[in-house]
Amino acid sequence: MSAGRLGGRRLLVTLGGLAVLGFSLFPVVIMLSTAFDARANDGSRALLPSDWTLDNFRFVLDEGRFTTYLTNSLLVALSTVVASGLLALLASVAVSRFTFRFRTSLLVMVLVVQMVPLEALVIPLFIQAKTLGMLNHLFGLVVVYVAFSLPFAIWTLRGFVAAIPRELEEAAYVDGASWPRMFWSILMPLCAPGLVATSVFSFITAWNEFVFAITFLNDQDSYTVAAGLRQFFTQYGTDWGAVMAGSTLITIPVMLFFVAVQRKLSAGLVSGAVKG
Amino acid sequence: MASTLSPDTRTGTARRSRSAPEQPPRRRRGLTPSWLPWVLLAPALTVLGGLLLYPLGRVVTLSVQDFGLRQLVTGESEWVGLGNFAEVLADPLLWRVALPNTAVFALVNVALTVVVGTLVALLLARVGPWARGLLTSAIMVAWAIPAVTGTYVWVFLFDARSGPVMRLLGSLGLIDPETTNWFTERLPFYGIATLNVVHHGFPFVAVTVLAGLMTLPKDAMEAAALDGANAWQRFWHITVPLLKPVFAVVTILSTIWDFKVFTQIYLMPGGSGTNREVLNLGTWSYITAISQNRYGLGAAIAVLLTLLLLVITMFYLRTLFRQEEL
Amino acid sequence: MRTRRWTIAAAALCLLTAGCGSGSGKASSGFEAGADETINAEGETLTVWIMEGTNPDAEPFFDELSTAFTEETGAELDVQFVPWAEAHDKFVKSIAGGTTPDVAEVGTTWTPEFADAGALVDLSSQVESSGLSNDLVPGLVEAGTIDGALYGMPWYAGVRSVVYRTDLFEAAGVEPPTTWDEIVTVGKAIKKADPDVIPFPIAGDSEYGAYPFVWGGGGEIAVEEGGTWTSTIDSPEAQQGLEFYTGLATEHGLSTPAATTWNEADLSDAFSRGEVAMMISGSWTPGALLEANPDLEGKIGAFPIPGPDGGYSPSFLGGSHLSVFNTAENPDLAWALVRLMGTGEFAEKWGDQSGFFPGTTPLLEKVQAADDPLVSPFATQMVEAGASLPVTPLYGQVQGKKTVAAMLQSILSGDKSVEEASAAAADEMDAVFSRGS
Repeated sequence: MSAGRLGGRRLLVTLGGLAVLGFSLFPVVIMLSTAFDARANDGSRALLPSDWTLDNFRFVLDEGRFTTYLTNSLLVALSTVVASGLLALLASVAVSRFTFRFRTSLLVMVLVVQMVPLEALVIPLFIQAKTLGMLNHLFGLVVVYVAFSLPFAIWTLRGFVAAIPRELEEAAYVDGASWPRMFWSILMPLCAPGLVATSVFSFITAWNEFVFAITFLNDQDSYTVAAGLRQFFTQYGTDWGAVMAGSTLITIPVMLFFVAVQRKLSAGLVSGAVKG
Repeated sequence: MASTLSPDTRTGTARRSRSAPEQPPRRRRGLTPSWLPWVLLAPALTVLGGLLLYPLGRVVTLSVQDFGLRQLVTGESEWVGLGNFAEVLADPLLWRVALPNTAVFALVNVALTVVVGTLVALLLARVGPWARGLLTSAIMVAWAIPAVTGTYVWVFLFDARSGPVMRLLGSLGLIDPETTNWFTERLPFYGIATLNVVHHGFPFVAVTVLAGLMTLPKDAMEAAALDGANAWQRFWHITVPLLKPVFAVVTILSTIWDFKVFTQIYLMPGGSGTNREVLNLGTWSYITAISQNRYGLGAAIAVLLTLLLLVITMFYLRTLFRQEEL
Repeated sequence: MRTRRWTIAAAALCLLTAGCGSGSGKASSGFEAGADETINAEGETLTVWIMEGTNPDAEPFFDELSTAFTEETGAELDVQFVPWAEAHDKFVKSIAGGTTPDVAEVGTTWTPEFADAGALVDLSSQVESSGLSNDLVPGLVEAGTIDGALYGMPWYAGVRSVVYRTDLFEAAGVEPPTTWDEIVTVGKAIKKADPDVIPFPIAGDSEYGAYPFVWGGGGEIAVEEGGTWTSTIDSPEAQQGLEFYTGLATEHGLSTPAATTWNEADLSDAFSRGEVAMMISGSWTPGALLEANPDLEGKIGAFPIPGPDGGYSPSFLGGSHLSVFNTAENPDLAWALVRLMGTGEFAEKWGDQSGFFPGTTPLLEKVQAADDPLVSPFATQMVEAGASLPVTPLYGQVQGKKTVAAMLQSILSGDKSVEEASAAAADEMDAVFSRGS
C-alpha cells in the first residue's frame, strides 16, 4: 500500500469524521446559541450570539411555567422507568428460565406488539382513558408509557437473563435460598447492565413522548415538557429565543444521560437488536 | 469515553450475544411450581393486554362504527360496516397525498438512514480510540435530541424569513429569501422532514452496525486482503453477508419507525392540518379523530396504517425466524 | 352587499328575551343560588381558560381579578391562557374527554358548536334575574343563543380592519386607500419607497383576513335554505374577492411567501418587528403591538377595510362569550366569576386594556363616544360594515377543519387556482353541512 494512498485515505477519514461531527452537532449548536442569544428574534442574528443572556431561560422557567412541566415530566419518566423495569425483569425471567405452554407464542406476541404503531392506538386509548377518568392525570400517561416500553425491555432483558449461568442459580438453591431470594441477590444484580439500557430507553420514551401528552393533557398544570413546549411555542408567536431555551432544558438531561451511559447502551442494544 | 468500544467490551459483548445459551430452557421440576412463570408474567401481560392488545382490537371495531362526540358521551355506537373504509379509499387525498407521503417518505428515509448509519459505522471502525470516543459522543448527542425539540430546530433553521439556513443560502445568492417559503411545498417540506428524521435515526444504525462489525472475525478480512480484494469487495463479499441479520434488523426497525412518523410532521408549519398536501397517514388519522371528532373514520385510517405495517412485520419475523430459533 | 347590522339583531333579541322568560323549561342548569347572591366557596378552585393571541398581555388584569374574586367568594382562580391557534382543537378534545374547565372564554362562532355538543350550561335564567338582559350587545347575544337558551355571556366584541404604519405611508407619500385598486397602488408605492418592507402580508393561516374580500366582492360564505346550509364560497362573486385578496400576494407581490404559513400572531409579530406596512388586524392589536415594540408609538393608524369601489368591505363581527361548562362542580361559583368579569368595573377595565369592545351596551356607547383615533375606525367598521359567519354549530366544525385557511394556503403557494381551491373548500364545507353534527 503506497504512502500516497494511505495519506489519501487518512484525509478521507478525517473529512468524514468532520462531516459526521458537523451534521450531528449542528442543530444542537444552533439550539444553544439561539437560546442564549438576546437578539434571537430580530431576524438579523449571526451564527453565534453577539449578546449573551440568560433572559430566555428566566422567561420560560418563570412565565412559561416550565418549572411545572419539568417536574411533571420527571415524575412521569421516573415512574415509568421503575414500573417498566420491574415488570420487564419479572417477565423476562419467566420466558428465559422456564418452559411452559404458549411460551413461544408469547414471545412472538411481545415482538409483534412492538410493531404496533402507537399513533394508531391514540384513538382507542383516548376513549379508554376518558371512560376511566384518566385524562389530565399523569398516572394515565405513566401506564401508557409503561406499556410502550415493556416489549423492548422484555426482549432486551431476556438476553441478559439467558446469559446468566444456571450454575449460579443452582448454587444459591444449594445454599438454601428461596426463589425470591435467589431472584433478588443473583438475577437482579447480574442483569444490572441490561436494566440500565432498558431504563434509559423507558426514560427517554416517557420524557420525549408527544402525541399522548398533547392528547391526554388539557390542563396546563399537568403538562409535560413536550406538550408544554408546543403550547408555549404557539402562545408567543415566533419567540425563537424562548422556544430554544425551552428545547435546551428538555434536551440537555437526555443528552447527558445518553453520553454518560453510551457504552452500556450500545451493549444493551447489541444484545437486544443483534439477537432479536 | 475512549474505552467506549474498546476490545474488552467488544469481545464481552460479542461473546454474550453470540453464544448466549439459547437452547430451550429445561423445566425445573420440584424446585419451582409450574404456575410461577405465569405469576411473573401476570403484571406485564395485564399491562400489554389492556393497553396494547385491547386497544388494537378496539381500533378495528371503531373503524366499522360511526363514532363521534355523541357516541362518546352516550356510549352507544352505530355500525356502519365498511362505510368508513369506503370513504377513505374513495378519497383522492389517500392516493394522491397521504399514501405517497407515508410510503415514499419512509422508503427514502430508511435508505438514507441505513446508508448514512453504515458509512458512519465503517468510519468509526477505522479511526483511533480517541476519535472514536469523540465521534460516538457526537452521534449520541444527535440521537438524544427529542423529536419535539429537534423538529423545532429544523423548522427554525429553514424558517422562511429569519432561518439561518435560508439567510445563508440567500446571502450566497442561491435562493431569493423574499420569494421562498419551503414549508408550503410538499417536496421541500418533506425534504426538511427527511433531514430531521435521518439526523435522529442514523445514530442507532451506526452504533448497531459498529457493534456488529466488531464481532467479525479478523482473519477472514486479512485473508481477503492478502488475496488482493479491495475495500469495497471486502465490504460487499465479507462484511455484508456476515452482518446480514444486523442489516435486516436496522432496516426493518427503521422502516417501522419511519412509516409511522408523526411528531416531526405534525409540528412543522402547516403539518397539523392546514396544508392538506403534507398530510401523511398518521397525521391524517389523528386530525380526523381527535380534532374533528370523527373517531370511526380516523380509526379506519389508523387500521390501514397498521395493516401496512403488519405486512412489514411479517417480513421482519420471517427474516428473524430464518436466522435463529426463539 | 349584504351587511347584517346589529340593529337587526337587536329586534331579534327583544323577541328572544320575551320568549325565553316563560320558556326556560329546559333541563335544570345546576344553578342553586340566586343570580346575585354572594356565595362562600372557601378552599375551592375554579379553572378558567382565557384565549390569547394578538391582544395585549392580560396577566396583570387577571392577577387583579383573582384577588377580587378570592375576596368575594373565598375561592381561588386557576387562569390558563390558551393560544387562539390551538384553542379549537383543545376545546374539542376536552369536551370529548370531559376535561373542560369551569369557565372559559369561547369565540362567538364556536359557542353554538360547543352548546350543541352539550358542553355548555344555559345561562339565560341567571342573566335575566341579574337584570342584565337589556344591557347586552344584541349581536353577541344572538351568536350565543340556540333554541332560546343563552350559552355565553357576551364578554367583548371585536372586529378587524386595517392597521397601518403612518410613518411608512407618509414616507411613500400615500394616503390610506379607499378602494381595492388603491390598495394595490398604495402597496406598490410603499414597496418602491422601501423594498425591505412587506406592504400588505396575506397570512395564509388567517381566515378572518379573507372573509372581508369574499363579502366585499358580493359573495357569501354559505347560505341557508330550508334548514340546510350550502357553501357559496365558490360563487363568482366570492371568487372575485378571493382573486383580488390572494392576487395582492401572487400577482402584485405585496406580500411575502413566508406569510403563506403565518397566522395572525405571526402577522402581528412581523408588524411589531417593523417589517409590515399594513395588515388586516383587530382593534385589540395596536395595544399589543406597542407593548411588543414601544418604538412604534405614534406610528400606528387604522382604517376600515375599503370596498371594491369605495365604501367598506364588511368584516367579521367577532368576539367572545364567557361560558360555563357542564363539568363545573359549582355552577354558582362559576356564574359569580362570569358576572364579575362580564359586568361593571372589570368589564370596563378589560375593554380599556385590551382594545376589545365591551359586551354590554352602556360600556360600548361610552367607548364610541370617546373618539380615539385608534378605536373609531374599528367602531366605524363594526357599525357600518360588520357581518357574521353562518350561525350554525356546523360552521364551528368547518373552522376546526381549517377549510378556509387550507384554501388560502393552496392558492398562495400556487398549488391551486382560485377556482379549484374555492371549489374544493365548498365541497369540504358541504360535506360537513350534509353530515350534520
